[in-house]
Amino acid sequence: MYSSLVRIQNTFGFFTTVAFVIAALIAASDFITPRAPSVGMLKTTNLQVVRGRPHYYSSKKEEYAIIKFSLDADLSSLFTWNTKQVFVYVTAEWPSTSSTIGATIASNATANQAVIWDAIITSPSADHLSNLGPATLKKLRKSAAGKAIDPSRGKLSLKNQRPKYQITHPSGKIAETADVTLRLHYNVQPWVGVLTWNQGADYGLWSQLSGGLSRKFTLPGLKKREEAKKTK
Amino acid sequence: MAEQILDQVRDVVEGQIDFEGQKLAELMANVALSVVGAIAFLVGYMLQDIKLAVWIAFGGTALTFVAVVPPWPFYNKHPVTWLPVGGRLQHTTANLVVNEKAIR
Repeated sequence: MYSSLVRIQNTFGFFTTVAFVIAALIAASDFITPRAPSVGMLKTTNLQVVRGRPHYYSSKKEEYAIIKFSLDADLSSLFTWNTKQVFVYVTAEWPSTSSTIGATIASNATANQAVIWDAIITSPSADHLSNLGPATLKKLRKSAAGKAIDPSRGKLSLKNQRPKYQITHPSGKIAETADVTLRLHYNVQPWVGVLTWNQGADYGLWSQLSGGLSRKFTLPGLKKREEAKKTK
Repeated sequence: MAEQILDQVRDVVEGQIDFEGQKLAELMANVALSVVGAIAFLVGYMLQDIKLAVWIAFGGTALTFVAVVPPWPFYNKHPVTWLPVGGRLQHTTANLVVNEKAIR
């Protein structure tokens, strides 16, 4: 501590130690905050299977399932001071059958899982990081003006939501697939600490997602273009 | 003239302080940073506002730097009294006694 340079080095050195300890405490504070995410309703509203190409110049044609769904979920307890953003996604899952390639590759029960919809829900502390246009960002910021955290953003209500992604199967066949279910997943991304996903069990104060699984459904057959033409 | 100015500039940049001042500066830096960290965490947790916690921590650290780094006068209140040049003690009579003979 003899000269200014030594004092700068010592003070900065101890500052990094303090910063690390605070970060560790913040990460630990997650574990004393209860989590109780729940899904009120998750159901399909419209099912459709169409033929299409994976990309514009592809000569291969595949079947694509378009699954519209409705969702009511309350993930507000996931939003604490350490939450940066929550990634929410809905997957369609179905077991492999002998008629598909999947059965030869994987023998486990739910061999097929495909994301049909996702969303990033930012915490007000991370609004500036969201990939939005200026007008939408302004609106988002206004919605949480003066609030450090906004748990109401965790309340999802989707009615007859169009899927973001049309799904297919490596075999290219997906029509008339049976025992398909929709499942809601979440991924909490904190400012400091560990990433957490859906839990299979309750851990301490963190309860597992209640609900979050739709009833089993069967995808319809291909839409016949000829029939569609005839009805017109 | 130029040398004098350069010496002054070097003294300011180097910012030397005395031994008591060094002890005080180290204590102040450690205590201030710890207190700032504790306040930042507690306020952030109570108000559930992580950005506020970060600003408190950064602001407090900046204040700590201002308080500790420059050679403030209160770090130089105990200057070391050096022995005079040449090793002769002018103002004291030599009272060294070796084998009952005073050395002069």
